[in-house]
Amino acid sequence: MKTKPLTVKINGKTVGPQEVPDGLMMLDFLHEYAALTGSRLGCGIGVCRACVVIIDKPDGTSEEMRTCITGAHFFAGKAIRTVEGHAQRNEKGEIIALSPVQQKFLEHYSFQCGYCTPGFVNGATVLIERLKREPVAKSQVEAVITESLNTHLCRCTGYVRYYEAVKDVILGTPGLTKEG
Amino acid sequence: MKALLTATIVLLLAGCGGPSGDGKPIKSSPELIARGKYLARAADCAACHTAPGGAAMAGGAALESPFGSLYGSNITPDHDTGIGKWSADDFYKAMHDGTSPGGRQLYPAMPYTSYRSMPREDVDAVFAYLMSLPPVKQASQPADLHFPYNMRFGVRFWKMLFLKDELPAASEGASPEWQRGRYLSNALGHCGECHTPRGSMGQMSLGEQLKGAPLGRWMAPDITPAGLASRDWTTDAIAQFMKTGIAPQGSAFGEMHMVVALSGQYLNDQDLHALALYTLGDRPPAPQPARQDATADERLAMGRQHYLNACAGCHGRDGEGRPHVAIAMAGNSTLRQPDSHNLVTSDGSSSRSKTDVGIMEQALQGCRGSWR
Repeated sequence: MKTKPLTVKINGKTVGPQEVPDGLMMLDFLHEYAALTGSRLGCGIGVCRACVVIIDKPDGTSEEMRTCITGAHFFAGKAIRTVEGHAQRNEKGEIIALSPVQQKFLEHYSFQCGYCTPGFVNGATVLIERLKREPVAKSQVEAVITESLNTHLCRCTGYVRYYEAVKDVILGTPGLTKEG
Repeated sequence: MKALLTATIVLLLAGCGGPSGDGKPIKSSPELIARGKYLARAADCAACHTAPGGAAMAGGAALESPFGSLYGSNITPDHDTGIGKWSADDFYKAMHDGTSPGGRQLYPAMPYTSYRSMPREDVDAVFAYLMSLPPVKQASQPADLHFPYNMRFGVRFWKMLFLKDELPAASEGASPEWQRGRYLSNALGHCGECHTPRGSMGQMSLGEQLKGAPLGRWMAPDITPAGLASRDWTTDAIAQFMKTGIAPQGSAFGEMHMVVALSGQYLNDQDLHALALYTLGDRPPAPQPARQDATADERLAMGRQHYLNACAGCHGRDGEGRPHVAIAMAGNSTLRQPDSHNLVTSDGSSSRSKTDVGIMEQALQGCRGSWR
């Protein structure tokens, strides 16, 4: 299979350049080349969103991207975050604090088997970051959560607990909502 | 003798399919209703007259046009909001002349331009079927058209110019099956209403029949015999496509998906074959299979990398597709249209790009990503 050199910034660190097959999907690249196994292969056809990572764009905004159906070379020169990149770590690389989204997911026992969780963490984080730029009216919070996370599938815990967790983060973080 | 013969022919013709106009109510029967239901499906009444998720034929589906928005009306037998007070003659006048009771002019979004060649007995059968539906009380939404198109009386003059008794044949043929196909396509299926380009007054440009036309986000493709053959379509494939929405040459999407879902899938095998046969003609032109272009063009290499990055995950590395998930791109009819209008599209935003021998060129702005 034809290869091409690929460099990607993952969780703040530059990975590569290294030779990567031209048609390799990003999820396989994360697992096999970057040794980051947190992103999940669920359906493999871009439906379940367990494989979603975050793209950090040059303008400071962030966006979800499905890695099971997007080629690794699509990410050439781009900066992404995976589920491994959210928690705070000390100099030894040990986790010292989870991100607010991760913490609330735990407190609400949002997920059971955890297979879909990496996608939900990334999806919810993109939502929180968007609300920092564009706060919504308090009355619209539930609608915004639906609109943002409805595409993510979870087959065990149901949708109520993650919903409550994300709502908790949004209402508990100053600046994400406005009156109305 | 000659005069007698002429008089007999005139009388016979007069008895063929013309409006009876005697005002007598039609005698309904389960057989007539069943035939009317079949014809109503072949004519795809539901596409406009049933709103998504709404009651059957109670109206409400929006039709966007360059002249403004129109809405399918309630054609259930409700007396106040539907057509419950209409006679069979009234219904025939609407289908044949585009005029509803009281002389109200119907906008040609209602394709009476095509339905006009339906014989009276078929129109009566559709009427009997509609009258058998449960009446639904739901006021029809008025059209929201720009000036001067919001003046209904203008439709009268439009009809003088553009309402034809029979639409020209779209292919060459003479067999009985071809004749049936012509009726299914030109009159009932009203294929030309989307696939024939329109003139400045919104009329079908009959000189360019079925040569393809813009349709909102989509491009209704060229479905002339030459156009279809150039994209490898055969009679059997068209019949399969109209029945199931999928064929080796591609799948029905956008508006055409609705046509298959509401209409095509209900046609019987004879009619499906007749429709397909008419579309290509009694002697179909030779289908032209897709060829792989071996030129080492730099743009193709870029296009291939974009394809691998953004499309191959579902459509396959070599365009082979995945059964029940993603249509094959290899040999796909949509890739062989003159522009990529139907290939790369996105919700709302403009995303035109070019295609090249089955592989998208580099502009993939329509894909979600950081390319915007």
